[in-house]
Amino acid sequence: MARNGTVSKRTPPFLWSTFSSIKLTIFLLILVAVTSILGTLIPQQESAMKVVQSLSPSLVGFLDSLHLFDMYHSWWFRLIIGALALNLIVCSLDRFSSTLKRFRFTPSATREKPFENLPSEQRFLLQASFDSVTNHVGTLLKSKYKNVKRVDKEKTAFYFVQKGRLSHFGVYLVHFSVLLILLGGFAGSLFGFEAFVNILEGEGVDTVTLRKTRALKPLPFSVRCDKFSVEFYPNGTPKEYRSDLVFFKDGRIAFQSPLRVNHPITFEGITFYQSSYGTLPGNRVRLSLKREDTGDNAFVEAEINQPFPLPGREGEGLITEIKSDFMRMGPAVRLEIQPVAGEKIQMWVFKNHSMIEERFPGIFEKFPKLNPASFKPYTFFLNGTEARYYTGLQVSRDPGVPLVWTGFVTIIVGLFITFFLSHRMIWIQVSRLEKGVNVALAGTSSKNSVGLSREIGRLIAQIRGTMDDIPSSC
Amino acid sequence: MLNSIILSYITFAYFFSFFFYLLMMVMHKEAFGRLATSITLAGFFGHTFAIVLRWIESYQLGIGRAPLSNLYESLIFFAWTMILLYIIVEWKTKNKSVGAFIAPIAFLTMAYASFSPAISSRIQPLIPALKSNWLIAHVITCFFGYAAFALAFALSMMFLLKKLDSPERKNLFLRIIPDSWLLDELSYQMVVIGFLFLTLGILTGSVWAYSAWGAYWQWDPKETWSLITWLVYAALLHSRMVRGWKGNKLATLSIIGFCCVIFTYLGVNYLPGLHSYAKS
Repeated sequence: MARNGTVSKRTPPFLWSTFSSIKLTIFLLILVAVTSILGTLIPQQESAMKVVQSLSPSLVGFLDSLHLFDMYHSWWFRLIIGALALNLIVCSLDRFSSTLKRFRFTPSATREKPFENLPSEQRFLLQASFDSVTNHVGTLLKSKYKNVKRVDKEKTAFYFVQKGRLSHFGVYLVHFSVLLILLGGFAGSLFGFEAFVNILEGEGVDTVTLRKTRALKPLPFSVRCDKFSVEFYPNGTPKEYRSDLVFFKDGRIAFQSPLRVNHPITFEGITFYQSSYGTLPGNRVRLSLKREDTGDNAFVEAEINQPFPLPGREGEGLITEIKSDFMRMGPAVRLEIQPVAGEKIQMWVFKNHSMIEERFPGIFEKFPKLNPASFKPYTFFLNGTEARYYTGLQVSRDPGVPLVWTGFVTIIVGLFITFFLSHRMIWIQVSRLEKGVNVALAGTSSKNSVGLSREIGRLIAQIRGTMDDIPSSC
Repeated sequence: MLNSIILSYITFAYFFSFFFYLLMMVMHKEAFGRLATSITLAGFFGHTFAIVLRWIESYQLGIGRAPLSNLYESLIFFAWTMILLYIIVEWKTKNKSVGAFIAPIAFLTMAYASFSPAISSRIQPLIPALKSNWLIAHVITCFFGYAAFALAFALSMMFLLKKLDSPERKNLFLRIIPDSWLLDELSYQMVVIGFLFLTLGILTGSVWAYSAWGAYWQWDPKETWSLITWLVYAALLHSRMVRGWKGNKLATLSIIGFCCVIFTYLGVNYLPGLHSYAKS
């Protein structure tokens, strides 16, 4: 119904009445709540990938057909939210005209109905002249309320004041804010993007990976990470992650600033957040070479794909691959030896040589490819690989955010008005009697009747208090 | 640390105020009520002192942060806000019977914080994601909201209990519970306050998430459950303000709402998500 609800002048009444029903609102609120629970029980998006493997294929197929692995972005969840939004709009429109009427309507000052069953303390006699009382009441009301209506009829002056008329609109402000926030979310999903990128220290990028599709997205500029650093507290928990970023536009430095967690950087409308970090092996390794015959040790610093001579000129060595974790046995490099004469020899050299030997005795002798002593007379050891930090950045653009922030502010204002302000109307009658001047106060309030009686109490005290000082001269 | 030792004693103070509030209701003796109120006030002052002390001690450790950033501190603060709101309610209504229902909740919260082996009371430095002024605004608003909902829950329970009362049934305990209409009105007011603060809590959390992770809403289980709680109370407010629901139905919704609060606060920790630092 909601989808083909092209609003024509002849909207069938049942459609309007369905969506203007508060019962539907309560039903939809509960429905969103209940369906949301599903999404917190079933892992969503990326975390779903891990769980899927342990479930039966038919169950996975069933859950997937209901989009339950990404339910908050599924068509049916969006349909419920859409129905709620429509319900909100129709309900608000439906009730708006009567609210406007209540806002515009000014009741007559001579109304008697509010004075029915008046508590006795709200009616009292003053020993003063009629004019001094009306003067005083008039000034008092004028100092407290914007428009004071006065009607004189026979022996009575009728006053009417009101305040807080705008409080009738608080609830519309709340509903409008909810729509604004939903609209902001929608605008963000249409025109924004969420992506991530890992940048190696010292390197630059001009593309990022979109989270949803894993597609590469080019940036209209490039960004380089000059340095990544992580600080720790004495107990070992991380204190601060920091990437020194440089932004390049048309080949020139346009902006540079350190990026920290909770302190994002926005450049050309795209915002960068510090989100993770890691290390990758760099391009340089340190090897030590032990000669079996003489027992001499030699040290070599080698760079990947750059041949180096062996100390005794027996040939050339070449590092062709660097792994931070090879076959789950830690850092290793692939070393290629080209002897002066003869075939090339290849081997993997591990950093944790002695540890591996302990765990798998004889493994190096058994597999020549893993044996660092495959080229006589040397035994190769890997002393270390250069590690390079990379910084993991969240990169996103969300043009809906200003709408959402506006909605946040207005919803708070709206809730405050709705709950704590009320429309108060107060009638006062001042009548000339033989014994003196009779004053009566009555009021109504849209809510918070306690606040109204307090306000009337204050008025009574102020009218009586000052009048007692006036000498009764008539 | 001294603060956590004091706080573990405060736990017993709240147990005794619960005990004397209960005694007042069963024995119908005003004196027990006055004693219970004195203990509650004393406990509250000690509680406040211990929280300030914890703040000072964190500076002495060279960490220097507000005591609002892990499960232990949040439980302590939750109990503090509940007692604060309760003292205001008792002072405004001049009725002490609510104490017999809220003091046990405060006592259990404090006992869980102080004596659960899974909860560490050590002052740990803040990880980078938590270093934000939004953290303080987020935690304070959320827990004021939770505390107001806890009071609404206690009042709703009292409302349902009061239903059992009748003139021919001479039960002192039930008689001392305030009239149904007052409970209904008070519980509604508490829901209103709770709803305003929960909204503020969700919004401040959302702004914070935006500056820390780059998205103001990610459907992480805690976020989702806070939304579920918000929706349940929104439904309650609509049914009251527009449909004029009162009494049983509203009390039941308020109890369901508080169950959602508890799940948002503690139950979600058993689900995976971004709020993992609030678990220990």
